[in-house]
Amino acid sequence: MLQQVLNGLAIGSVYAIFALGYTLVFSILGIINFAHGAVFTLGAYFTYTLLGGVFGFNGLLANGQLGIQLPFVIALPLGSVLAGLIGVLIERLAFRPLRLRGADPLLTLVSSLGVAVLITNLIQYLVGAEIYNFPADIYGTLPKAVNFGTAGAPVPVRTVQLVIIAVSVVILIALTAIINYTRFGKALRAVAEDATTAGLLGINTDRFILLTFFLSGFLGGVAGTLIASSVSIAGPYFGIAFGLKGLAVIVLGGLGEIPGAVLGGLVIGLAEAFVPPQYSGYKDAVAFAILFAVLLVRPRGLLGRALVQKV
Amino acid sequence: MTEFFATNGFLIVSMTLAATLALSLYLPLMAGQLSLAGPGFYALGGYIAAVLSDGKHFTWQGDLYPVPLVLLEMALAGLVCAVAAVIVGVPALRLRGIYLALATIAFVEILRVVSLNVEITGGAVGIFGIPQPYNDPSKLAYLWLAGPLLVGALLFTARLERIRVGRAFIAIREDELAADAMGINPTGYKVLAFTLGAGLAGMVGALSAHFINTWNARQGTFDAGIALLAFVLIGGSRSALGPVLGAMILTALPEVLRQASDTGGLPAWLGQFMKDGRLIIYGGLLVLGTVFLPQGLITPALFERRRRKPPAAPVGAKGEPPL
Amino acid sequence: MSDPAARPAPAAPLLTAAGMTRRFGGLIAVNNVSFTVAPGEIFGLIGPNGAGKTTLFNLMTGLIPATGGRLSLRGTDITRLPPHRIARLGIARTFQNIRLFGNLSALQNVMIARHSLTRTGVLPGVLGLPGARREEAATRRRALELLDLVGLAARATGQARNFAYGDQRRLEIARALALDPTVLLLDEPAAGMNPNEKAELSGFIRDLRDRFQLTIVLIEHHVPLVMGLCDRIAVLNFGQLIALGDPATVQRDPAVIEAYLGSD
Repeated sequence: MLQQVLNGLAIGSVYAIFALGYTLVFSILGIINFAHGAVFTLGAYFTYTLLGGVFGFNGLLANGQLGIQLPFVIALPLGSVLAGLIGVLIERLAFRPLRLRGADPLLTLVSSLGVAVLITNLIQYLVGAEIYNFPADIYGTLPKAVNFGTAGAPVPVRTVQLVIIAVSVVILIALTAIINYTRFGKALRAVAEDATTAGLLGINTDRFILLTFFLSGFLGGVAGTLIASSVSIAGPYFGIAFGLKGLAVIVLGGLGEIPGAVLGGLVIGLAEAFVPPQYSGYKDAVAFAILFAVLLVRPRGLLGRALVQKV
Repeated sequence: MTEFFATNGFLIVSMTLAATLALSLYLPLMAGQLSLAGPGFYALGGYIAAVLSDGKHFTWQGDLYPVPLVLLEMALAGLVCAVAAVIVGVPALRLRGIYLALATIAFVEILRVVSLNVEITGGAVGIFGIPQPYNDPSKLAYLWLAGPLLVGALLFTARLERIRVGRAFIAIREDELAADAMGINPTGYKVLAFTLGAGLAGMVGALSAHFINTWNARQGTFDAGIALLAFVLIGGSRSALGPVLGAMILTALPEVLRQASDTGGLPAWLGQFMKDGRLIIYGGLLVLGTVFLPQGLITPALFERRRRKPPAAPVGAKGEPPL
Repeated sequence: MSDPAARPAPAAPLLTAAGMTRRFGGLIAVNNVSFTVAPGEIFGLIGPNGAGKTTLFNLMTGLIPATGGRLSLRGTDITRLPPHRIARLGIARTFQNIRLFGNLSALQNVMIARHSLTRTGVLPGVLGLPGARREEAATRRRALELLDLVGLAARATGQARNFAYGDQRRLEIARALALDPTVLLLDEPAAGMNPNEKAELSGFIRDLRDRFQLTIVLIEHHVPLVMGLCDRIAVLNFGQLIALGDPATVQRDPAVIEAYLGSD
């Protein structure tokens, strides 16, 4: 029981961090950035590279390796910052031109889908489709697992899961602080509340949007790295599947709701952790079943405000 | 000429099937709805055909699988997919905005997970040796089925645009609220458009299962949905002909370039890249298309429903003629 | 016609709004508004910007749900009905910020609005069965008639978004008339029209009322137009109904002078 809860919280908190990346962009632009899953993937590959990982022989970068090997505590933030920069690049290339033209969100959605496919397949072209594992020693001398039970009735939880929970908590606290106490956070809340008011407040929208995409990409990078450290990089497509699950998370929490993304992530993480082992094959469908249920019963999501339609 | 058709039979039929599938995405788009479920219905239709023709369900004499049974499978697949579309579509299409895209993603993923886990679909391995209705190694004979399906779907769609129901679709695409205020039930017609597309995708899937000869969970993926989207958006989403053309060109392009590079006309790496990097190119085309070709192949007017008000005065506004 | 201003609202009103209320968050856009509209009446809705006039139209056509109150047409409660049901029951409207199907032709715009009065389904339509062809031809004929009525028949195939502002307003009226409505709601029909067009508008609206036996509710800022045209006028200010009566009475009402005529 405790084991499932901790595992559920671990995966759920990564869902939360990842989904926050969707939510930040959605709350200011009203658009779902479908490239977010691809940024997640990139973040994992960036960190893998910075850790000194070697690439397989399939892609264009066959057997390539960075000259340096950074420790995990540095590679994680650095890889995520790189992912954040990719987020900025995506904003400039695939979002901004359409925004300036006042194009419909549906068109921007298509463009972000295009970016997702582009990045994913570019990765495959460069480093192949094989599975990459982070080096086993990234946590140094920490034990592989921690026993939460007694010696007689052990409840082992992998250290990785605990690290994930710890990192997630740190990130969530930092993000809460940013949103509540910085100029950026105030602007974010203002825009999420009402775009016109925010315009009147004299927020430099362009820089503000860039910053949001950076933060979104950073969160995607952290999430990708954490999942890769817990399981592996399952190939260039691993972010796509994760990205789709993230959509279920934000719908459950309420589109554009920052606390909703966290709650939605934890709920879906826990729901997956409690899937009985004999049905484990269906685990990946849980999030999507929840998405359907939400659309049927409460389309605004758990914490969403009433759907307002502009006439 | 005969030799060309014989060596390129597989490609020609593939192009025809892709074009029909692109129309299945175009149908909901006519009502302004982005569906990413095309591959899901396609996969479902394929499984239906593959299971029905496994020898335990339909029985037949001789080496060749009877064409009427293929037609029956296609009809059943279309029907089942249409019913599934109503179930998936109604909850999502009551709402305005991107909910259909999200619901269809969920549908495709659930279908994929289920098909990987149940026995009847052959699990992760899939279904092999699906019986062939034609004794033709080039597979060109499949054009007897794929060709009429495409022509029929194209005529159906083109005609639909000019009648009452199609006008209701287009009104919803242009301005859902105004359409509602003019007596059109948006949910009903959005579901209808989505259902028509789903039925068509199911029929293509059923035929494709025989054509490809093997069927597994990789048939209905998110990627395939993107490829479809590229077909429609690059070809032009303003008329039924656009998706058909887009699908044919984008399906043929890698193969044409490969053959061109084989004959020494092109550098080998280009042909190779067109083959391996096909999806890189599709992704790039989607981005470039939406950004740079809004008035060209892709008409943003299709997507711009209520975001922008019409200009107060015709300040040099020169749009293309209406549909 | 007898002097319309002197005519009292008959006992059986066509349209009844009782306590209509709409909140947006903390703001009350429409606050407990009640009135009735008699058959054949031209009913004016005026008030300063932001008084809640268009919101009231949106409530009356179901485009936004009411927070409270009741709206009925010929005694039938229509408060919770979706827009298309209300449209089918006979309330048609135009939009203040013009919501034509801009990429389509004028003819298509009007034909679309014949939707609920026609029935051709997918298959008969696609196959072009005789019944479907007849109905299509009738729809086209009716749409052309209406375009002719608003003076746009010659430009039936022109793309709506390329029309001049006044023409777009006229096209919206033709589109609304295509629903064969009993009640026509006009949201600022004179906005953007030149003085000539405005002068003709009064006669045109009266003519519409007589020809189609319509009941008309209109929102308008152009005071001379409203005063000369309407049988009765309701005045909204900050979402509340502050005066209701014939033009002469409303014009003298101190609250109206204070709120609207004085400030505008």
